[in-house]
Amino acid sequence: MDRLSRVLLFAGFGCFAFAFVLSCLYPWLLTDGAAPEATIAQLAEHVPPDFKALKDGYPVSFAQAFPQSDVALTPRELLGVPADDARRAASEAAWRVAYADALQRGRDVYVSEGCWHCHSQYVRPVANEEQRFGPVLPAANDNNALQRPVLWGTRRVGPDLTHEGGLRSDDWQVAHLWNPQDTSPGSIMPRYTWFFRDGFQVRRRVAPDTAEREGLDPQASYPVPGVHASEAEAQAALERHRAGLPSSLAAEKDRLFVAPGREPNARGLSLVAYLQWLGTWQPLAAAAPAGVAP
Amino acid sequence: MSSTAVPLNPAGRPHDAAGLQDVVLVNKGLVKWHFIFGLTFMMTSMFGGLLVSLNFVHLYPFQGIEWLSVNRVRLLHTNEIAYGFLVNAFLGALYYAVPRLTGRAVAASWLGWLILGVWQFLMVATSVGQLLGFTQAVEWGETPTGFRPGTFQLEYIPVDFLVELGAVLVAIQFLVPIARSLHSRMYVSLWYVSAGFVWLILTYVMGNTLPEWAMAGSSGAATVGLFIHDLVGLFVTPMGWGLMYFFVPVILRTPIWSHALSVIGFWALAFFYPLNGVHHFLLSSIPMSVQYGAILSTMAVEIVVTTVVVNFFATMWGKGHALRTSLPIRWLYTGMVFYFITCLQCFFHTTLTVQKVIHFTDWVPGHAHLVMLGVFSFWLFGIIDWLWPRITGHEWHSRRLNHWHYWLSMLGLLIMFVDLLAAGLMNGYMLDALVPWMDMVRALFPFWAVRTFAGSMIVLGQCLWVWNLWQTARRPKPYDYRVDLVEPEVLATPAAAREEA
Repeated sequence: MDRLSRVLLFAGFGCFAFAFVLSCLYPWLLTDGAAPEATIAQLAEHVPPDFKALKDGYPVSFAQAFPQSDVALTPRELLGVPADDARRAASEAAWRVAYADALQRGRDVYVSEGCWHCHSQYVRPVANEEQRFGPVLPAANDNNALQRPVLWGTRRVGPDLTHEGGLRSDDWQVAHLWNPQDTSPGSIMPRYTWFFRDGFQVRRRVAPDTAEREGLDPQASYPVPGVHASEAEAQAALERHRAGLPSSLAAEKDRLFVAPGREPNARGLSLVAYLQWLGTWQPLAAAAPAGVAP
Repeated sequence: MSSTAVPLNPAGRPHDAAGLQDVVLVNKGLVKWHFIFGLTFMMTSMFGGLLVSLNFVHLYPFQGIEWLSVNRVRLLHTNEIAYGFLVNAFLGALYYAVPRLTGRAVAASWLGWLILGVWQFLMVATSVGQLLGFTQAVEWGETPTGFRPGTFQLEYIPVDFLVELGAVLVAIQFLVPIARSLHSRMYVSLWYVSAGFVWLILTYVMGNTLPEWAMAGSSGAATVGLFIHDLVGLFVTPMGWGLMYFFVPVILRTPIWSHALSVIGFWALAFFYPLNGVHHFLLSSIPMSVQYGAILSTMAVEIVVTTVVVNFFATMWGKGHALRTSLPIRWLYTGMVFYFITCLQCFFHTTLTVQKVIHFTDWVPGHAHLVMLGVFSFWLFGIIDWLWPRITGHEWHSRRLNHWHYWLSMLGLLIMFVDLLAAGLMNGYMLDALVPWMDMVRALFPFWAVRTFAGSMIVLGQCLWVWNLWQTARRPKPYDYRVDLVEPEVLATPAAAREEA
């Protein structure tokens, strides 16, 4: 036994190496080794309307978070722009850059907040999980840069998020992050108040006749998108908004006012973009099987 | 027994059962300070755990504070218990055990103090980093790499790579005396310890580089599973068993029942344990052949474990009264019974049939608490209980408090374990039955309330114990080691003792 010490030392390394080959290299060869990992830029090739809607809904934060915001125009902003206008092509390119950035930052937030400790990202072909959460995905779907390190998770305090993308609106996601109990009464998910920034917002009081007709509080008001850092900036935004109103809405000009407001910050927007992306990407191999011309 | 008869060493302190050589070989300062730091991290970790459990019953007190967010505190809970408490306490106990097993002092005392300092710095850097949001998405490996996930942009102290450096220093510290004593027969504890340190270095490199920079998705998950299990199976378990094989015979004053069986146990563990990894992601897109392999080797491990447990119970044959008279032995054997339960549980819940129900539920945290607290922490509690008066040279402030510590921890853990098991089963069947999510959360509330209650029992037990250890260290009354010797039962009765005298 003692004379075998050195042999046994190598046996000890051998045990480690054997397990490494069997549970790391072998599965890698069978699955992800066959195809290159998709980069974040590839994942961001198709920019979904959910992401563009974030700019419409939270323009000030969006401009702060994504420098491409000036060039990347939403469908609303592109109304009336001719189909062959250079702005359209530039806009699409800018959107892709911003989206790739958002996905990566959203994933970083998902990691640093430990979201993956309570939300899994894999659906099993048992226990009616397909009915509850959606289809089981093959290994190829997870062979991308956003799944490195892997975010499958091992516990479900909250629901699986594999197919979360597009399931709910941006606004639902934002409201849920501010206070999960508002959207899901009884939820034990913590509030993520640090995904939001406070400021001042232009609001529009409801028209008196509408309030009467609909049975609303006459003081009820609706926010105009955009939360500004200071009251003065919000006031300037109010003036711009007032100047932009058509004469048919002249009565509305007097119902505008500035009030404290709140909207998601760069982290919040990125996380929502990431959540809305989950499950929306199809690997290239699945989209165009080998031998089929694209 | 009076303390007047305690023999004193030249330094004027009473020395322990092993005699004067201890004073030369064992650096008691290192043992003591590793225990002190370990216990500090244990307390912060356990309070962190209790805090997290409050969130589940809608009582989280720091809602809305970014750096005390529930999931960041959860990271502090798991990482501080594993790297702060277990590693520190293992090192402390090894600073006592390895020199006595090899007859050689560790490589260098200054290296010991360096490791002590570096390790505490890394632990604080880990916890601060995690509370600030610099964490790695690898389970049990959330220690900050310092890099933005999956990239090479450095954002924080690269703790992981410094830990790697620390692991190399630790390996040198303990492998040197072991290598120097190679001419004599190597006891099984030394097999465990030396292999454990080498495996730790390999495991840590693998788990903190491949899933982060090389392998995505499915193969990344296989690697993460391998890392989780290598860390438990090739570091924590070898250290735990290595210390058990040393302290149980020392405290019982009897040799281990079968050396052959102990070595078989070691090699079977070395072969089967790391193959278990993928069982953390069963029924996933990892190739089924790999999953079945993991299941089979998990089952094989439990058979191996049975031989180890049989060996220890056979060692105690005829000395069962030690469970009553010696608290350290009671801790060590309680931990071992829990180890057996854990492994039996593994045997069944690694099967796909059971996985289907219990995966993703509270069953798994229940299992994890039984392993980390019920087995390895309980072993270390027993070892610290046995060593503390010997290291400080002071009689216990209160032996009664130690018993409170035992019963509060043991019953608290049992309640938590059974409670989480039940919650897990219920949760699993509710998921299967497509019960609406929020109904499930509401149904689990009573289980989570019981878990918080059980957790407070455990935390209270640790508070009493740590206070007792502190008071003992400050107490001037010298320790009489003979009080804690496990004597043959005939001598344990006062009448027999008088007769002997």
